[in-house]
Amino acid sequence: MRPFTYSRANDPASATKELAGNPNAKFLAGGTNLIDLMKEDVERPSAIVDISGLRLTEIKPIAAGFAKGGLSIGGLGKNTDAANHPLIRQNYPLLTQAILAGASGQIRNMATNGGNLLQRTRCPYFYEVAMPCNKREPGSGCGALEGVNRLHAIFGASEKCVAVYPSDMAIALAALDAIVKVKNASGQERSISFTDFHRLPGDTPERDTNLAHGELITSIDLPPNKFADKSYYLKVRDRASYAFALISVAAGLEMGSGNKIVQARIAMGGVAHKPWRALKAEQFLAGKEATAENFKRAADAEMADAKPLEHNKFKVELGNRSIVLALQMAMNGGKA
Amino acid sequence: MQDKNKLTGTPISRIDGIAKVTGKAAYSTDYPVKNLAYAVLFKSTIAAGTIRIIDTTAAEKAPGVLAVITHTNAPKLNVNGGIRGGALLQSPEIEFYGQHIGLVVAETFEQARYATHLINVTYDKKEPKVDFEKLAKEATLPKDKERADAKRGDAKAALRDAEYKVEQVYETPIEHHHPLEPHATIAEWNGDRVTLYNSSQIVNGAQSAAANTLNIKPEQVRIITPYIGGGFGSKGGQWANLVLTAVAAKQVNRPVKLALTRQQMVNSVGLRQRNHQKVSLAATKDGKLTALAHEITTHGAIKNEFVEPCGDCSKVMYDVPNSLITYRAVPMNVILPTYTRGPGKSTGSFALESAMDELAYALKMDPIELRIKNEPERDPSNGKPWSSRKAVDCLQVGAKAFGWEKRKAEPRQNQQGNYLIGYGVAAGTYPAHQRPTSAIVKLKRTGNDVMATVELAAADLGTGTYTILTQTAADALGLPLRNVKVVIGDSDLPPAAGAVGSVGAASYANAVNDACQKITDELLTRSGKQFFARPTASQLMLSEKLTEFQTRIDAKPLESAEEYSAHSFNANFAEVSVNRFTGMVRVNRFLAVTGAGTILNPKTARSQIIGGNIWGIGMALTEESILDPRWGNFVTRSFADYHVPANLDIGDMEAIFIREDDQKSNTLGVKGIGEVGIVGVAAAVANAVFNATGKRVRELPITPDKLL
Repeated sequence: MRPFTYSRANDPASATKELAGNPNAKFLAGGTNLIDLMKEDVERPSAIVDISGLRLTEIKPIAAGFAKGGLSIGGLGKNTDAANHPLIRQNYPLLTQAILAGASGQIRNMATNGGNLLQRTRCPYFYEVAMPCNKREPGSGCGALEGVNRLHAIFGASEKCVAVYPSDMAIALAALDAIVKVKNASGQERSISFTDFHRLPGDTPERDTNLAHGELITSIDLPPNKFADKSYYLKVRDRASYAFALISVAAGLEMGSGNKIVQARIAMGGVAHKPWRALKAEQFLAGKEATAENFKRAADAEMADAKPLEHNKFKVELGNRSIVLALQMAMNGGKA
Repeated sequence: MQDKNKLTGTPISRIDGIAKVTGKAAYSTDYPVKNLAYAVLFKSTIAAGTIRIIDTTAAEKAPGVLAVITHTNAPKLNVNGGIRGGALLQSPEIEFYGQHIGLVVAETFEQARYATHLINVTYDKKEPKVDFEKLAKEATLPKDKERADAKRGDAKAALRDAEYKVEQVYETPIEHHHPLEPHATIAEWNGDRVTLYNSSQIVNGAQSAAANTLNIKPEQVRIITPYIGGGFGSKGGQWANLVLTAVAAKQVNRPVKLALTRQQMVNSVGLRQRNHQKVSLAATKDGKLTALAHEITTHGAIKNEFVEPCGDCSKVMYDVPNSLITYRAVPMNVILPTYTRGPGKSTGSFALESAMDELAYALKMDPIELRIKNEPERDPSNGKPWSSRKAVDCLQVGAKAFGWEKRKAEPRQNQQGNYLIGYGVAAGTYPAHQRPTSAIVKLKRTGNDVMATVELAAADLGTGTYTILTQTAADALGLPLRNVKVVIGDSDLPPAAGAVGSVGAASYANAVNDACQKITDELLTRSGKQFFARPTASQLMLSEKLTEFQTRIDAKPLESAEEYSAHSFNANFAEVSVNRFTGMVRVNRFLAVTGAGTILNPKTARSQIIGGNIWGIGMALTEESILDPRWGNFVTRSFADYHVPANLDIGDMEAIFIREDDQKSNTLGVKGIGEVGIVGVAAAVANAVFNATGKRVRELPITPDKLL
């Protein structure tokens, strides 16, 4: 860790202003990732602006009549509170499941909703500063590309970076078509659709998201949906808790009459540099019957484009099976 | 020895429990030493080569920095003084990635850590030897005579002629000990004597290693280690961090604290080496073993060798006329391997007991029956009679308690929803030894109250040493528990064995018991009276109206124990469920049945056994340290990457102890349970996975990808 200045922001306007004035400044919310990275010398901010005291913690219906407007989740609310909020448990159980599948109770008590989206990859080459990593040090190379890459991407990677994005919560948010609301130093607000929030690595893996420097996540908005009782978050991992996903699948099935799928929402974690919307699988399922065979064909359609690396070839088969299982579990309302 | 009227054998809660949960128990870094300076290590970023230039100019000028110590200015140390793993800043040579190449001492920890970022190192790199797959071909006979080829009969010929045989290779990865308390030291010099607050499983071993390496006398070193936050072998031998803290404190002329980070633990304090084990079993069609060959290939460090004894279980478990056990090792650019959780036996039993399961399946025989059929009357490796052996009882009692009869002989026959259910069994053993240990017992009477203090340089890894010694002394002196105080973990106390290799309880409890018997004898002699029944020391203190009395004993193992082969034995039973889509394995139930002689405290013993079982489940399912073969660095540097089991991974755990009176091994019949808890566990889980899925995984850990 290197010396830095610390200040505590009293309101969003002063927080964003302080950041805007210094390209090396960082917001500190829960600190569960940033502080770790500072200890590892990966993040080297010259200034820390503590926003943990800002009151952007509310969970509330967006408009009168919840069913119409959906739900707004404060950017600085704690993960634990979001997971356990009755309106979320009732209307977005997919989100509850995904949050509770991540990290540990202690970490979720500290971690914020906005901060969760901004987690950086757990690629070991990113974490150890002596290793090459284009994300940490553009131009230094990718340690994982020809290194130990069992946990790495099978979709959307580039020669520059094969890292995966680690959040569970965000995988559910992708399936829920969430909107990220942000505010900058000039007081301008904008809404970023979830699919546009995170980036693929391309030639600029150092950029994880499309958030501009100094923009503050004020809320994450969830539109209403019709699959709360037919959704499931499946996380496949090397141990039962406190492990990042090998593969995860957030699935929701909006059903019409006679076992017909109106629309499917499927997002995958552990496969790409961002939450991976399985659009091919979704397209395949729209209007089809919810059968084991169709689930399998949807999975085949999605996984056909996977490009595994030396050590993660298993993710293609595992991804396929996981899509099928998550859809099956969603259909059964989460029961095996 | 388990007597209803005794405190030993009763499940009392640990004496030091309250101090621990309230934070009052002081671990190494908790001592309120005044005027502390802080040291932070910095480490090599290559695995092989030499340091050409190490530029510390900027670091030395950084705020708060008191000293930067590297090989260019470190004092001369004795590299053969007993510190393991090198890295003592004595030369520019790099032998493994993450070798200590210096340390910064500063007024604060943060200043020291920051200054390490300002050091520039230029290396002359060499190609590191870290790709075990490639290097294994070059492995040769280890120097250690204990690892020489052990042959009995002609195993190869018997295998050639076998009716039934299994020949398979089993792989176990590098593992790390990762105790919750990372290694940490405070060094404080007082004239030419240094006090080292340092977690040490072998108090006197740490003392002599530090003294020899620092080129001073053992009496100039005091080790204080009343509590240890886990060690698992990594705090048995001592590593460079201990001595470098003393060097730093001398250099800056004030006390220095040095604590390793979790990330530094992977290349500072040893590791469990990777093992490639070929096991060949031959048997008649009715299941009598005719040959057992266990051929092990592994690695050491680049200069020094340590080969864990993976063939040990194969030496003693089964009656087999033809046996072959061989070791081959190759140097590798990694930190020196060392004793780790059931050294050799845990990894070796994975191979042997998996092979036994494979043989049972080939023979269409129940795996318990196969084991019982090959039960040896004597120790097959040396012909000695057993001091006692409860291996068959463990299997039979366990089978009944676990509901083994519900197991389907064929795999994939038990499906519940999306889960395949399987049962597995595996046996295990660990040798039992008592080691020389001295102890002082002091009695003090105030009115009608007699207090006892028992002192010895024993260690408590957190397993219950304080508790069992309090129970032992209370029984032997005729005192209630609250009147006994146990003082351990200090090299100024009488020398004791280490809390290693399952020798702690037997060595310490026998020494304390002997000391208490001796003090009673001395009080009897002093009284000059004859008694109908032997009075207790406590009664004698009262009747003789003594205020203080003490004695010391240098307890030795029974000479007659040498005539016997003494081991603890166990049987492990696992029920797993495997998600048939994802390959995720869960151990629903686990039962360990153990015959380990006298159990001094069934409560702490149970904790220790299920702790070993959980480590075994970790070995089976999750633990693996992964090297990048290009650079020799571990990519698994934190608890996020190195997966030890979490609470959610663990189902119902049950421990049963078989009653076993074994006064042939030592006076109290204590055989030790520290290591045996992990032995056989990984095989029981892997065998259950086979029973569930029909997939035989011979390469640990059994992660989901291996079951797709």
